[in-house]
Amino acid sequence: MDAFSPPAAAAAPQERSPWRFNWAAGRQMLANVLLPIATVGVLLLVWEFAVRHYAISSGLLPAPHEVWERLLATWPTLLRQAVPTSVETLLSFFVATFLGVVLGIVLTYSRLIAASIYPGVVFFQLIPKVALAPLFVVWFGIGGETRVAFGVFIAFFPIVVATMAGLRDTPPDMLRLCRGLTATSWQMFVHVRLPFALPQIFSGMKIAVTLAMIGVIVAEFISAPAGLGYLIVFASSQADTALILAAILVLCVIGLAYYALVVLGERLAIRMYGAN
Amino acid sequence: MARIEARRVSKVYQGRTGAVHAVSQVSFTIEEGEFVSVLGPSGCGKSTLLMMLAGLETITEGTISNRGEAVVGPRTDNGLIFQDATLLPWLSVLENVLFPIKILKRARADYLETALELLETVGLSDFAGHRPGQLSGGMKQRVAICRALIHRPDLLLMDEPFSALDAITRDEMNVVLLDIWQHHRKTGLFITHSIREAVLLSDRVLVMSRRPATIACDLTIPFKRPRDPKIVDSAEFAALCSQLRGRIEAGYAAEKSSRIASVATAE
Repeated sequence: MDAFSPPAAAAAPQERSPWRFNWAAGRQMLANVLLPIATVGVLLLVWEFAVRHYAISSGLLPAPHEVWERLLATWPTLLRQAVPTSVETLLSFFVATFLGVVLGIVLTYSRLIAASIYPGVVFFQLIPKVALAPLFVVWFGIGGETRVAFGVFIAFFPIVVATMAGLRDTPPDMLRLCRGLTATSWQMFVHVRLPFALPQIFSGMKIAVTLAMIGVIVAEFISAPAGLGYLIVFASSQADTALILAAILVLCVIGLAYYALVVLGERLAIRMYGAN
Repeated sequence: MARIEARRVSKVYQGRTGAVHAVSQVSFTIEEGEFVSVLGPSGCGKSTLLMMLAGLETITEGTISNRGEAVVGPRTDNGLIFQDATLLPWLSVLENVLFPIKILKRARADYLETALELLETVGLSDFAGHRPGQLSGGMKQRVAICRALIHRPDLLLMDEPFSALDAITRDEMNVVLLDIWQHHRKTGLFITHSIREAVLLSDRVLVMSRRPATIACDLTIPFKRPRDPKIVDSAEFAALCSQLRGRIEAGYAAEKSSRIASVATAE
């Protein structure tokens, strides 16, 4: 009986032969990669030209090639100072993710706790958090804990919000189905709600990973004996603008690498728990 | 003893503008092995009725008994199908069908064969490894039917399962369900707003009116089983449909006159 045979149109998505290069997609990809690179290249050229043409002093704004030379000359120092910054950023990010997800879950599941602390959490977000950095030095001293604690403090809130939004996102009929099967709330959480929340949690993590770095750098500005933030402050006291820019360049690379790792994790999660 | 017995069941919600009577004073019975449809316009409380029967909504007044026991919560011998297929997008079709087994902590191996058989009955054998995102709406709903049957429930509760599908797919699904009913005889409650669907599938049709939200008519459908889907073309089928339509329209008329009466008394 033909009513039992599935509609042909709904069969698996069309597969493309792997042997043929897809020109349209290839050109699109080239445009996506080459255009931004070309834009940056043009900007660097303009910068280089402007510095030379107007004879801007290198203390005010060094030309790109000077930054590059300074980067090569101070490479061992930059690398050594990058280690604490990267480690502390990563640590802050992990702790913030863990705390944020746990707090998000607790706030979603316990109305009592949500009612008592959520307004406080939100209120805390309204304070310009950077202003609290000196307090962290008072409380935690000038060790690595201060930087990690401050990074966590700056980064965890988006994860709380994303986790709460994600957990609330479960289709209500899906929960009804589970309850109809006498599922425990733990089973619903593990098998349904958490996987449904994962994409949202990852979007929170993408914001958090950049915030964690900001937190660590700010803490390094005010207290650290080492790290790229410390190096920037030190270089600025020496009017070594090229070194400041070189340090910022290294920071950008680290930040990008972390961001890429989170995106990779997100892709993996979506492949496992996504729609396709 | 009837399998399901509802006695003067009411559901009242406390809304912002006062109490809302979603279901009022509904009484009916369903015999073991009977397929009963509840037919009514949207918003008449028929889904609420099903949720109360499934133990997913509290009953404000009255009682529902299932096998002589009062319904106070969900039971594992119920199978549920909703308007939306509600499949987990990250699980394969087969794993979705086996989902209740995971929740009920039963041995997966004991049900694997059943799952594959069910998928074969609904024509999805070749799709066991696919993810729901790769399926059409009708195919998803077939998976949902298999999932509702996997733990061998003997009461199937269906809340407008085909109303989100297009007309052609819907006719197909009716045939699938008729066929399943031939193979796995269960007790069924089917909520719908399609008269044709109700007549084709059911042993009895209960018509629910909107105001008051109660059962206005209880009609026995005399077609024998196994049913040939071609009965829809018979004169008898048409007559039953028009009889039901008449009942629904009478409900509308009563609703209108009662509203006019209430306005008149308010003045």
